[in-house]
Amino acid sequence: MSGLLLAFLADVRLPVGTHTQSAGLEAALQAGMPISDLASYVRTRLGTVTEVEAATAVVARATELAGDDLARVERAWAARTPSRVLRDNALQLGRGHGRLLAALWPSDDRRPARHCRAVALGMTAARAGLSGHEVACLVGYDDVQSATSALLKLEPTDPVQVAALTRDLIPDVVAMADRVAGLTEPEQIPAHAAPHIEMWAERHAHTTERLFRA
Amino acid sequence: MPDPTAPARAMRLGVAGPVGTGKSSLIATICRQLAGSLSLAVVTNDIYTDEDARFLKAAGVLDPERIRPVETGACPHTAIRDDVTVNLLAAEDLEADFAPVDIVLIESGGDNLTATFSPALVDVQIFVLDVAGGGDVVRKGGPGIARADLLVINKTDLGPFVDVDVDRMIAEGRQVRGDRPVLGVSRKDPSSITALEQWVRDCLASFRSGRHVPVDPGPMAPHSHSDGTVHTHADGTVHAHGHEHAHQH
Repeated sequence: MSGLLLAFLADVRLPVGTHTQSAGLEAALQAGMPISDLASYVRTRLGTVTEVEAATAVVARATELAGDDLARVERAWAARTPSRVLRDNALQLGRGHGRLLAALWPSDDRRPARHCRAVALGMTAARAGLSGHEVACLVGYDDVQSATSALLKLEPTDPVQVAALTRDLIPDVVAMADRVAGLTEPEQIPAHAAPHIEMWAERHAHTTERLFRA
Repeated sequence: MPDPTAPARAMRLGVAGPVGTGKSSLIATICRQLAGSLSLAVVTNDIYTDEDARFLKAAGVLDPERIRPVETGACPHTAIRDDVTVNLLAAEDLEADFAPVDIVLIESGGDNLTATFSPALVDVQIFVLDVAGGGDVVRKGGPGIARADLLVINKTDLGPFVDVDVDRMIAEGRQVRGDRPVLGVSRKDPSSITALEQWVRDCLASFRSGRHVPVDPGPMAPHSHSDGTVHTHADGTVHAHGHEHAHQH
């Protein structure tokens, strides 16, 4: 059952506003990155910013299950996400996930529901019964899909080739999830920097002719 | 019966239509007419630039803080119909930040003739065409043209310059819309502006009375059954007809 649940949560049609996202691809292409670098771009994300997101979700899940304070996880994530643009974007996406969570897995808990995407996904995983490894895969797969799907709008090509590329990146998603699945404490969340991605995101926010929010 | 304990929220008014038909200027006109007596806010869906938000801010018809652009990820249709999350969040933010708000206007990015708002996002919606886009556009049809709460034929003053018979265009709109209103609008025709303002005020009164039920203009054509029920199949329901006639869902 949890396999289907994972597919459900990874579905691009889930109503959480992810159609606004390119996983930074638009910013990267604007900065001159060649399309042929797409696979290595996504792998770089999976080893840096996406791994931070996934680790945050894993720790948020463990924290939620333990009944501990999610604010510590949120602070640890923010400290490892130097770009304000990326933090704001993650908070906006977190609100979409928060709406879904409140509707699908309601809780008596009256805590304010505003969290970054990674923490909101961790809470969702805890309530939906996903494992730490599964929620890490979810974060990684969503990042891959955001970039590859955005490619079809930014530089259209045969979508079957894009699907093949997405499939080829699945082992990288799983490898990333393997690295973070066992984390439980905010201090364990890795602090990988990706200065180019962060700089591109900051610059992208100040361009007007863009298709994606981030 | 409306729930008397439910918090009063703003009426959400959607404005959709193809690119360049005058959605932004129509919203500016509504703001100009109503901002003195009602608390208004605007969400713009800017696909490629922040032009619409900047236009409205520059028009000086509303406190710029009350105008917020939403970035829709290349697809205005998705953001107003299939996944309305980003627009709902923006509307809720504006309602919270400037409470009480009477009307939140939501401007769709210019899209094709099938783009209509989900009733989950807006309570009432206007579909905008303009005479400069051609006299045949009404005949090409679409859910917004046929079934939005109001069809505006904009820039009627341009008719003679673009060889479009405005009266005929409006008449064709009335033909496909049954009882639903069609309004020819020109910013140079004060009576048309007054009629637009009155329509918005009437909608607000209906919304506040609890009588108003948002309806989905499309994509399915609403049709009625012999037992008197009317529905659109927008919820994906399937049924058998107990009567013989041909139509498609």
